[in-house]
Amino acid sequence: MENRILCTLIVSTALVLVACGKKEEPKTSPTPAPAPSVQPAPAPAPAGVTVSSLTTGSAVSADNKLSVATETFAKTDTMYVSVDTTGSGTANLAAKWTYRKGDKVAVVKEDSMTVNTTGPATHEFHVSKPDGWPAGDYEVEVMLDGQSAGSKKLTVK
Amino acid sequence: MSDDMPDFSNVKGGSSSTATKVYVVVAGDSLSKIAKREYGNAKEWNRIFEANKDILKDPDKIFPGQTLKIPPQ
Repeated sequence: MENRILCTLIVSTALVLVACGKKEEPKTSPTPAPAPSVQPAPAPAPAGVTVSSLTTGSAVSADNKLSVATETFAKTDTMYVSVDTTGSGTANLAAKWTYRKGDKVAVVKEDSMTVNTTGPATHEFHVSKPDGWPAGDYEVEVMLDGQSAGSKKLTVK
Repeated sequence: MSDDMPDFSNVKGGSSSTATKVYVVVAGDSLSKIAKREYGNAKEWNRIFEANKDILKDPDKIFPGQTLKIPPQ
């Protein structure tokens, strides 16, 4: 009998202790789990090499910058186009020189080169004609990896 | 080209870069041919060979698809 009373006392004490330790939960509706956030895709890396400027002239210095910048040439001039690029990587640069007479267009020369740049670089293309350029209107278009990167109209007087 | 347009067949062109020019070898190439194309002088093949000694052991053995560095003129 004493054992039974003792057991009842122990169980009761245990229940009281558990009840006192219980925290009252706030009666709110369960917070919905946050929807998985969709992170925007990282912006694509800038193209490896881009053309920043192109200029024409009749002479270049050792760094391929124009020492004589002009868009008007004499018949005996060598015509240069200097192309500045930024960025790094391998790229194909091409220059297409054309002569324009009215609505007719003749290809004078096409040339290309593949370069491997590690930063800003300057490139040049040039054309010359041993017996002199016919007077008239010309144009040079520069292409980067097959896409036009700009053009310049030239005149031979 | 129509007859009243000038003849541009004798136009000479070229290019150079402050960056490293590279050239991908195609079938039928030799260092002399590449030197002629890049420098206008086939005898300058040795400059290309010297610049690519890390990948070329024999100047007569280049293969399509190889990428060669072209030293500036």
